[in-house]
Amino acid sequence: MRREGEIYVVHRLLDEQICDSEGRRVGRVDDIELRGNPPRITALLVGEGLYPRRLPGWAARLARRISGPETWGSNALRIPWEDVDDLSSTVKLRKKAEDLGLGEGDDPQRWIVRRLPWN
Amino acid sequence: MTGTGRKRAGCSALGLFLAIAALLFSGCGDLSNDELNRGVESLSALAAQGQLVANGVARDATKTTYARVMARTLGGEAEHEAEKLADATIEEPGTEDQRHAAVAVAGEISGLLSELQTFPGDERHGELIEKHLEEAGEKADAIVAQLSGDAP
Amino acid sequence: MKTIFKIALGIIAAIGGFLDIGDLVFNTQAGALFRYDLLWAVVLGTIGIAVYAEMSGRVAAVSGRPVFDVIRMRLGFGFGLLALIASTLVNLLTVAAELGGIAIVLELLFDAPYSMFVITGAIALVLIVALLPFGGIERLFGYGGLVLFVVVATVFHQNPDWGAVAHGFVPSLDSSTLYLYFVVGVFAAALMPYEVHFYSSGAIEEGWTEENLKENRLNALLGYGIGGVLSVALVIISGYLFHPLGVEPSDLGTVALPMQGAFGETGLLLALGGILFCVGGAAIDSSFAASYNLAQFLGWEWGRYQGPRKAPRFTASWLVFLLLGIAIAQSGINPVEITEYSVVFSVVALPLTYLPVLLIAGDRSFMSEHANGRIASALGWIYFAVIVVLSLAAIPLLLATNGGGG
Repeated sequence: MRREGEIYVVHRLLDEQICDSEGRRVGRVDDIELRGNPPRITALLVGEGLYPRRLPGWAARLARRISGPETWGSNALRIPWEDVDDLSSTVKLRKKAEDLGLGEGDDPQRWIVRRLPWN
Repeated sequence: MTGTGRKRAGCSALGLFLAIAALLFSGCGDLSNDELNRGVESLSALAAQGQLVANGVARDATKTTYARVMARTLGGEAEHEAEKLADATIEEPGTEDQRHAAVAVAGEISGLLSELQTFPGDERHGELIEKHLEEAGEKADAIVAQLSGDAP
Repeated sequence: MKTIFKIALGIIAAIGGFLDIGDLVFNTQAGALFRYDLLWAVVLGTIGIAVYAEMSGRVAAVSGRPVFDVIRMRLGFGFGLLALIASTLVNLLTVAAELGGIAIVLELLFDAPYSMFVITGAIALVLIVALLPFGGIERLFGYGGLVLFVVVATVFHQNPDWGAVAHGFVPSLDSSTLYLYFVVGVFAAALMPYEVHFYSSGAIEEGWTEENLKENRLNALLGYGIGGVLSVALVIISGYLFHPLGVEPSDLGTVALPMQGAFGETGLLLALGGILFCVGGAAIDSSFAASYNLAQFLGWEWGRYQGPRKAPRFTASWLVFLLLGIAIAQSGINPVEITEYSVVFSVVALPLTYLPVLLIAGDRSFMSEHANGRIASALGWIYFAVIVVLSLAAIPLLLATNGGGG
């Protein structure tokens, strides 16, 4: 599947697993940024802060309470479209997770992960 | 219907629901003929299961821990059934005798299983208990027969 | 000859414990209450899980997507989250029931307090998972569970009325609600979704590709077929021994009674041992399934093969699910009761996790030439219809029969 060609954005891109250049799983495509007229994909958006957007009314309010507001750089991350390398059964990125601020949940440097008994 | 009118209708629907629920649940604790029947049938089933365990003990064909734990569990169920039958109030007046008999049988079964629990490795005891459980089971079956005879 | 043996071992390991406490409880009760009349429902459920598993395994091998990846892709975030919540709740109940089952068997063998065994059982599981590789875990519980074939031996030893047994394979619908409840229960116990979720993630743990598709089909047909044979044997032996006596099996220990009767202490120990391995394997499968589902839905790193350092959230969530399972198992509710709820609720949630897999399995853009053919498609959709009907009937029947109490 080529990036420049046509893709079914909702059927194949949205909610897809994202892997960094080393093949590490670093989240899913939680939302997509479209800009311009005609709309072009400019970025993939990832993070728990984006979940409330995907839910209907009452559930969104509840989810917003749990996840807090969208804090860009923290619970909402932006991956520029240029950093996407390939689309197949996952979205493969050009860079490593750390360079894009992704995969912090599984990052051994994060304080809570360090506290786990086997780390 | 206005907003407040809808709310009032909702309230009275809830009230009706609670009333019906209360009516249904007030049935708990009363022993209909059917429920007495089921209670005694389960006593017969417990006795039968106990017999199988006792039979294993009698033939020295079982593990003592298994026999003991099974006897304990089944005995507990028999006791529970005895309490249920004893505490409940009888709906149909003619079945009081049967209820008394059922409670007695339940106590008997529970006692036999207790004994099995104490002597799970003793073959002679196992043989005796198996025989007595069979008799208790037959008593329970007789009560069931009487109850269905009584039923219209 | 050697390859057949190797394949057979692979199949046995792949399924890792063919029965769980749900199968043991529902099949034994079904036999005791209805003799051989529910055998057709066992077969129906067994074919159902083979169909579901084959599709999930094929999707995993060809597209690299385990079930909850498929679910999020096909249902989106909202309905996918609903599926995740429902599935997690059911899996939690299942983990608790299996842990309780382990504790009951250990109590029957060693007569020490149940609650102590819940904890020691869980600790043993953690050690097994920590020390053995994925394949080793599956082999341990798979081979151990084979011991339960003593049930099949017991059936042949007791020589039941085979004509009546054969008659039980013909579908019949008794009008009693209790019978219908057990149709749902027996089917649902055979088609527990956590098994399939675990199987599909396992395919990826083992690095399956298109070359494994034949293996996938064999695993699905023969592996779950073995489970079906054991389930059928349980119904038959229970119908043979318990039905005439009117015994109502409400304890896990009762399941082993027929084997004690036929083969004495050896039969009893084999039966209890087999039950222990099957239920133990199921505890691992269901707890892993819960973690797989959560991690895959959210996009975390996951997998036993990654190890706790590379997949810390996945590993931590597994331990949390075990702890919650321990808590529920210790709560004083009889594990047999917990089992009934976990089985019934699992069929209620089943359509949500089954449909996306069916859709993706038939989608050429995901599966290219390995998409569902005519037979797979027909079977897949027929079973979807069956599952929907049973899922709608499950809770009303549960209430109407007072939880199978009659």
